[in-house]
Amino acid sequence: MRLESISLTNFRNYDGQEILFHPRFNFFEGLNGQGKTNLLEAIYYLAVAHSFRTGQDHEIVNWNEEYFFLKGVFTQEKGRSLVEIGYQQPPGLKIKVDGKAIRRSEYIHRHPVIIFSPDDLRLVKEGPSVRRRFMNLEGSRLKPRYYRQLKEYHRVLQQRNRLLKDMKNAAVNQALFEPWDHALVALGGDLIRQRLSLLQTLEKQACFFYRQLSASAGTLSLRYLATVEVGNDPALIERSFSDRLKKTRSVESKRGCTMIGPHLDDFALLVDGYDAKKFGSQGQQRAAALALKMGEVNLFRVSTKETPVVLLDDVFSEFDLERRKQLLQFILDGEGQSFITSSTPIEQLVRGLNGGKKIFFVHKGKITVDRIESVN
Amino acid sequence: MVYPEPLEKLITGFCRFPGIGPKTAQRLAFYLLDRPREEVAGFARAMVEAKDKMRFCSQCGCFTEKDPCGFCTDPRRERAVLCVVQEPRDVLVLERTGQFRGVYHVLHGALSPLDGIGPEELRLPLLARRIGAGGIGEVIIATNPNVEGDATAAYIARMVKPLGVKVTRIAFGLPVGGDLEYADDLTLSRSLEGRREM
Ligand SMILES: [Zn+2]
Repeated sequence: MRLESISLTNFRNYDGQEILFHPRFNFFEGLNGQGKTNLLEAIYYLAVAHSFRTGQDHEIVNWNEEYFFLKGVFTQEKGRSLVEIGYQQPPGLKIKVDGKAIRRSEYIHRHPVIIFSPDDLRLVKEGPSVRRRFMNLEGSRLKPRYYRQLKEYHRVLQQRNRLLKDMKNAAVNQALFEPWDHALVALGGDLIRQRLSLLQTLEKQACFFYRQLSASAGTLSLRYLATVEVGNDPALIERSFSDRLKKTRSVESKRGCTMIGPHLDDFALLVDGYDAKKFGSQGQQRAAALALKMGEVNLFRVSTKETPVVLLDDVFSEFDLERRKQLLQFILDGEGQSFITSSTPIEQLVRGLNGGKKIFFVHKGKITVDRIESVN
Repeated sequence: MVYPEPLEKLITGFCRFPGIGPKTAQRLAFYLLDRPREEVAGFARAMVEAKDKMRFCSQCGCFTEKDPCGFCTDPRRERAVLCVVQEPRDVLVLERTGQFRGVYHVLHGALSPLDGIGPEELRLPLLARRIGAGGIGEVIIATNPNVEGDATAAYIARMVKPLGVKVTRIAFGLPVGGDLEYADDLTLSRSLEGRREM
């Protein structure tokens, strides 16, 4: 897949900007706070209709403006498509592909774009919500069904939590809970199953890259951490979910919220069997996060049968020379289109990547072409 | 710009209609001003008359002028088959298919704790009484294919099944998360034929 061009209106610090991209390498140079990450966010948003930085669309709108608008042309195996995405509150998000309006749920899985950023380390180091968002976003992007079920699950959860609050002091009415319990278990059980299979495929890919990246040649594995007993037979998740739900009801009534289910689940990144979050060295944590993202690129390559577009947000300064070389090699081997930002001089990076390239300069929400190099 | 008060009132009135924005409201208001007085007066009378004379059938909850309604009193309709819907307008949607010859039960909503709607707020106790009175062999549930509609269907199934009555849910080839009223006739006919036991 390739992104031929993008136009941004009122997106973060861009008032209005149109850019034509190079089909291979696009470099963005400039000081911090000029809009390099914002541009990558716009590219990602155009591809996925979600931000990798925030779940709040209104935060993206340029200060003092009421809407943002993105437009661009993607080229895929199946052909070219013109995408237009506008947001204003109200009426909310509008997505058009070749002039035809479509819903977010029908759009989110269309374009394989993967972002690498220093924030990836949060996947290893921070609390469960970061990893849950990762599973939900990637799950939704790989399967349209996941996104739909996730939305329904959250609706059921809200309804059930309200019921728990309302019923706090009243006698517990089993008949009232039953329909919501049933829906929670059916939707939640399937979400857990889909996450398990996502982690399983991702693990295979990530494990391969971790071996290359880590100096000690350790093994990376991913383990789903469920609030419901998952066991060895995924077909039995619903039953154990349902049993646990019955047992926790009285505690839940006291607390007024649902205390088990995929909305509280997590996963661990294990290095040689030990949780990298607690026991990993800084180097192992970085390698685990990077391997996870590299694995993601391959996962999307396999599942979409397209060459993913890779966004690299100032990641090279994070790594030592050896890792830098490995990441460059990964980008070269990928043969796809890449967008690379850097706040430090990029000459070395530019030389490190053989192939046609376009180099841009970013300054105060304006992007100018610095130079274009064809294949040497 | 600000319109003279009578016109402004009219536009504001139209604005409250479902699916009508300020622009359409304006167009409708100007259209009315353009019509002969008699026609407008007739229209106004029709609105008030409908409001005064239409009521809900005490048995099934449909809109009707006479209570009980035409469906409930029609001897040609099968009284043993009962179709449960969320809204009065859903009855018209199902009638349009010409596929259903039984009687109806309108709930006037769906279970939704977030909106403070429990069984007591719906015509669910009434449904229980109707089925308890006997003579009903199958209950077809045609609540909307979304989270609330599904929960309501599950609640009804649990309530009805112990009474030895067959409970089916219409098979939704309908857009998931949508409303019954947006389904086309063909899809809806198929949904009725393909209903499955709960
Ligand atoms: Zn009636």
